Amino acid sequence: MSARGELIGAAIVIAVLLFAPFLSPLIHLDVSIVSEVLVMAVAAMSVNLLLGYTGLPAFGNAAYFGLGAYGAALSVKYFQVDFVAAVVIGTLAAFAGALILGPFLLRRRGIYFGLLSIAFGQVFYFIAYRYTDVTGGEDGMNFPRPPVALAHVQVKETAFYYVALAVFVAALIAFRAVVRSPFGRTLVAIRQNEVRVRYLGLNSDRFIFVALLIASAMAGISGALFGLLINFAYPLQLDWHQSGDFVLMMILGGGGTLWGPLLGSFIYVLGKDIVSTITPLWQIFIGGLFVACVLGFPRGILGTIEQRLRRAPGTFTADDVNAAFDPNAPVEVGRGV
Amino acid sequence: MHDWASIGPQIFNGLVLGAFYAIVAIGLSLIMNLTGTINMAHGSFMTLAGYLAYTMVLRGTSFWFALIAAPLICVIVGIAVERTLVRPLYKREPFYSLLMTFGLSLMAEEAYRLIWGPNGVPFSPPGALAGATSVGFMTFPAFRIFIAVVLIVAIAALALFLTRTRFGLRLRAAVQDTEMIAALGTNTQVLYAVNFGLGIFLAGIAGVLAAGMLGLAPTSGNALLMPAFVTVIIGGMGSLFGSIVGGLLIGLTISLTTLFVPAASEVSMYVLMAVVLMIRPRGLFGEEGIFG
Amino acid sequence: MARPVLSRRSFAKLAGAGSAAAVFGIPAYIPRLGEAADAIKIGLLEPYTGVYAGPAENETHGFEMAAEAWNKRGGIMGRKIELVKEDEQNDPGVAAQKARKLVNQDKVAALVGTVSSGVSLSVAGVANTLGTLFMDSGGHTDDVTGKSCHWNVFRTCHSTWMETHATGYALQKHFGKKWFLITPDYAYGHSLETGFKDVLAHIGGSVVGNELTPLGTTDFSSYLTKIDAAKPDVVLVLVQGDDYTNCLKQMNQFGLLKKYPVGGPQVELEPLYGLPPEAREGWWGIEWYYKSEKTLGKGNKLAQQFVADTLKRTGGKPPTARNAFGYITLDRLAQAMHDAKSTDPVKVARAIEGVHFSSIFAGSAYYRKEDHQLMWPMWVAKIRPNGTPGDKYDLFDVTDINAAEAVEQTIAQKAAVCKLGYP
Repeated sequence: MSARGELIGAAIVIAVLLFAPFLSPLIHLDVSIVSEVLVMAVAAMSVNLLLGYTGLPAFGNAAYFGLGAYGAALSVKYFQVDFVAAVVIGTLAAFAGALILGPFLLRRRGIYFGLLSIAFGQVFYFIAYRYTDVTGGEDGMNFPRPPVALAHVQVKETAFYYVALAVFVAALIAFRAVVRSPFGRTLVAIRQNEVRVRYLGLNSDRFIFVALLIASAMAGISGALFGLLINFAYPLQLDWHQSGDFVLMMILGGGGTLWGPLLGSFIYVLGKDIVSTITPLWQIFIGGLFVACVLGFPRGILGTIEQRLRRAPGTFTADDVNAAFDPNAPVEVGRGV
Repeated sequence: MHDWASIGPQIFNGLVLGAFYAIVAIGLSLIMNLTGTINMAHGSFMTLAGYLAYTMVLRGTSFWFALIAAPLICVIVGIAVERTLVRPLYKREPFYSLLMTFGLSLMAEEAYRLIWGPNGVPFSPPGALAGATSVGFMTFPAFRIFIAVVLIVAIAALALFLTRTRFGLRLRAAVQDTEMIAALGTNTQVLYAVNFGLGIFLAGIAGVLAAGMLGLAPTSGNALLMPAFVTVIIGGMGSLFGSIVGGLLIGLTISLTTLFVPAASEVSMYVLMAVVLMIRPRGLFGEEGIFG
Repeated sequence: MARPVLSRRSFAKLAGAGSAAAVFGIPAYIPRLGEAADAIKIGLLEPYTGVYAGPAENETHGFEMAAEAWNKRGGIMGRKIELVKEDEQNDPGVAAQKARKLVNQDKVAALVGTVSSGVSLSVAGVANTLGTLFMDSGGHTDDVTGKSCHWNVFRTCHSTWMETHATGYALQKHFGKKWFLITPDYAYGHSLETGFKDVLAHIGGSVVGNELTPLGTTDFSSYLTKIDAAKPDVVLVLVQGDDYTNCLKQMNQFGLLKKYPVGGPQVELEPLYGLPPEAREGWWGIEWYYKSEKTLGKGNKLAQQFVADTLKRTGGKPPTARNAFGYITLDRLAQAMHDAKSTDPVKVARAIEGVHFSSIFAGSAYYRKEDHQLMWPMWVAKIRPNGTPGDKYDLFDVTDINAAEAVEQTIAQKAAVCKLGYP
């Protein structure tokens, strides 16, 4: 896709998103669920950075997502902070979580990294579950959505949507800048061949750590917004099932693509909402979606489309990433260093 | 404040619990080693075995028959799943199989709810195993002793199978070098299928036993899955012996922390995992080069 | 060359019709089929998937039966009641989103339902923000009618305080004052523990052991081995759901059920049917029962009819307390709308609170004005492991009945934590 084509595409998507709150009631959807699409897309982007670009199976991102939600909830409940501060504190909480877990996770690569992410993520889940006095335990905790202090305004549903949209667009721009920078290309190089990256004199551990920190901040901001959206924080937000949802969103839309997480979140969040309204057997459909997605189009929707489109010379597209993301390539056993 | 007299029984209970984790972890590990598949549906197969045994006993078969027959039916289902859904993923990154089996476990849970209803069902061991044996200061429930015996027999049989039979040796050789064993004329697809079935069989046995000791509901198998994963990590991927040691270690850690530091009982196995990984990044008995 | 199957013109027509259907048809379809334009819609949130799917199903039967009964009588103000069901998946986040959808898109007049406390709290918060009535049929935590109470929130099932006090006094009467507690280590367990300790303070009893067990404990042996050393008069099992099943099965396997009386704040029929008979034992708090004069009241035609109708509906599976929660909740909501001649939330809330009524249980009850808790009796029953001849479902022998006022916190106690905050 040419740079111009990309710009036009982006403009169309953003234009549609700008009018989404007025379109959604037409198909019987609440504004808040459309906000959720954007919020979850940011979390799926955080998985995309680790899994789609760097090749690390990030199955524990719900830990950062949940830390974001609890960070926002606790700071509002106990310190009556305003909307902006709640989001910032939530993001910082997730960042701090990654700072602590990073050194452990960095020791492993491949599927081991994934299992470690799941297992360490569960520790936060149990902490939220157990410290009932502070976190509300299993029942979770209610908290009001605070106003924006500087502007003295309450953030109602439609306003919240535009906040979510602003955060999403900012995250998207930042994400694009990161993956196109030399840093981002090094991440792709790591997924293609970490040993070679090391031979070039680069400390791959350090690159992965920074990627993890960026991803945790994205998951954190997403979690904080989600907590503020539903005015609630609860342990399931930290659970590995939540991580699985993020990974599915990324795969569904297209790993290693810029817009894949949004598309994946759009299909997953709205699909689950609509199907679960129609039938109580929605879990069979969601499970089937996992199976069909993995077997049918492992590159995801956008990944498959982009693969088909010829790219203009000199541009960097998902194909470059997917060259190493080829699901049919044999597994490199013993890729660890 | 601690009741020192309860340490003895507690160690026994911890070992039984650990043997459970070990047998589930061995199943996971077998499948993981040969084909790089992370089977998130392992817990679903355990639940399936429990429900099948429940249905059989309800229809009038004996518990003993169900203990073998239910896992065997699971093996048939398992191999069918492996041939149709898992096999296409062998050449891909492992997380694809993880996602796919995760989806399967969601579907399975709903299917069990449709077939056997949303509430738990009553399933209990036969009368001969119902009582408890009191040995002085300790009480051993008969069913737990039975569980320990079955698990030991199963693990020993597996070890013999892998070291003494031609097929077992091929299986282990394939883990080392699949291409070489294929070049030497072994049909690797048969190996993959049988190996998957073997893992499911162990899960099935654990499932029937767990249904006798614990409850049986559509979601019950998943509770044992996470400790089994931690067992694999601690024991080291690629090592069956590691899974056994890892499982027993976790069982002991959990039951002893419940006794002395109850507040830390859920987190203790993760702490143990962190400590092991700090000292030995590949796990206690992990082999070089498997999954990095 | 063969003729094209579709001429260009008919293709254009077809495409036009297709896109028209896509534009108008889908939005028209997604709002539920068969809705009557003037019906009063009530949003029903239940966890049809997850661990509470069983209770959810039973509550739904109750809600539907109450709606059918009202519709047969001509509805409310001549308008039929229509239940709009959503699966809240036992997830507070999903529940919050579904609640918003029901209120903003389906335009429901009120929300009802839920089983787990976390979901009840989450829905109560959303409903309060939106200014919609919410009647919590089945989430037990004290907070719903305590710390987190709202003017628009009512609760039908008993609070944890009622459960512990009803059973606490009964267990003391039957067995004694030395208690061994097995407490689930999370919010619900802690509030039960607080309740029981309050009872002990009143009766001058003591806790000879209190084991905090993590939720999802599969192996209770480490806690059970301590019981013998403590020599309690009675063992109180506070764990719920799957943990309850695990705990009772293992107590049986350790031979403890024969040695010590066992009891607890409440047990529901749904998990009890999932226990093998030898592990069904003890004295438990119950919130309603289908086959006892003590719970239904002598000659209560309404209750007998309710039981008979449910049996007909389910093909012989008797109603549980969950069926009763659903029925009572919707029946009272409809009555209040009828009395207020309005669906305005404030008017309806005012019409619910403080009104004494009789229903499918013994005696009369009312939603307390000060905290919106339904004040109805709480019972204690002894388990009959194998039922009675001819009815394998008949597991409870109801022994005690406690008036709500005797077991719930007083108005003064509630006033300290709960501010309803009417607009």
